[in-house]
Amino acid sequence: MKRDKRNRSGQAYGLTVLTPVLEHRLTALAAHLDTFGPEDASPLARVAGTHFARWVILEDVVYEGGRQRRDNLKAPRLLFTSNFDGPLDAYLEALRTELGDDADAVWGHCAGYPGRADAAAFAAYFRAHQVQSALFFGAYGDQTVSEVQSNLDRRTRLIEFAMAAQGLEPAELQARFQAEFMA
Amino acid sequence: MANVEGKATAITVVTPVRHGGRFLLAIVFFVGRNVTATLEKLQTLSFIHYARWAVIRRFPDGGKGERLGHTYLFFESNFNGTWDQYIDAFSEVVPRRMKGIWGTSYGFPGPIPVEPFKDYIRKNEYVANHYWSAYPAATTTEIVSAQRVARALDDFRGRAVNLDPEAFADAYRALLTEVQRDL
Repeated sequence: MKRDKRNRSGQAYGLTVLTPVLEHRLTALAAHLDTFGPEDASPLARVAGTHFARWVILEDVVYEGGRQRRDNLKAPRLLFTSNFDGPLDAYLEALRTELGDDADAVWGHCAGYPGRADAAAFAAYFRAHQVQSALFFGAYGDQTVSEVQSNLDRRTRLIEFAMAAQGLEPAELQARFQAEFMA
Repeated sequence: MANVEGKATAITVVTPVRHGGRFLLAIVFFVGRNVTATLEKLQTLSFIHYARWAVIRRFPDGGKGERLGHTYLFFESNFNGTWDQYIDAFSEVVPRRMKGIWGTSYGFPGPIPVEPFKDYIRKNEYVANHYWSAYPAATTTEIVSAQRVARALDDFRGRAVNLDPEAFADAYRALLTEVQRDL
């Protein structure tokens, strides 16, 4: 549990998962990830509490040359990282239920993936392939996704209100402010 | 392939660590976690939403993990702005910390001058197959500002509830003065 603290910044959690891609599945996996659209067209839009997330295929590690001995991965890895509103258990369950078929379509190309039918096996698979953070930084780890969105919305509304309310008499200003922000 | 979602950009870097480097990294990250200066310094780079480092001794494979000839250093960042601006800022603002972290990796040329540093990051960077953000139009600065505005608004609503119109107008002007830098 002490190490788990390193994955957290405020209430935010940084999850890093590396899963081995099955032989001959790399192209199909990449093609499937390519079908995901931006913003609401991404399956990640369905997983509440996700601030930022990515899938990245690591075909192999990089060789720097020089005095370094060359390394090669036995299998390419699929990297999945997410910066989300903790805790981890609830998020893994959200991945399972909200990604739905997309979870199976992506991780089904990875070795040992148990499928999403069994909640405990699904969570155990992610925990078994998790890499712990050494240092996790969040600029606003105290804010959930909905708080971020609500604060941004209120800031925009205040800017618009301030522009529109210039020159209003006090009574009118108060009435409009109350209607906008205190209703 | 997509490292960009709205204003957000993803960086994913994995580098081989020199022999003995992981012990230095353990110290560097221990200090990073326990001495707030490092995190505060990252906070001053006001365009980073979330970032993390991880030390990979074994690549997860469902069993004991796949051990390569080297330990690997994993880095990811979620930031607003361009890739070049980001690396420039790392090089200019936190060169010693970058050297402390990536100085343990093979091939690291140092953070200054910036061009070889950029070449190094490019060589070791993986492009995301899919990248997603819950609020792609927002910058880190806007999110942190919006939280201050929302707090000031909440505070103001508490104070303004029973004011007469003249006093309300004065309080409203004081509110705008208080939050003007965040609008």
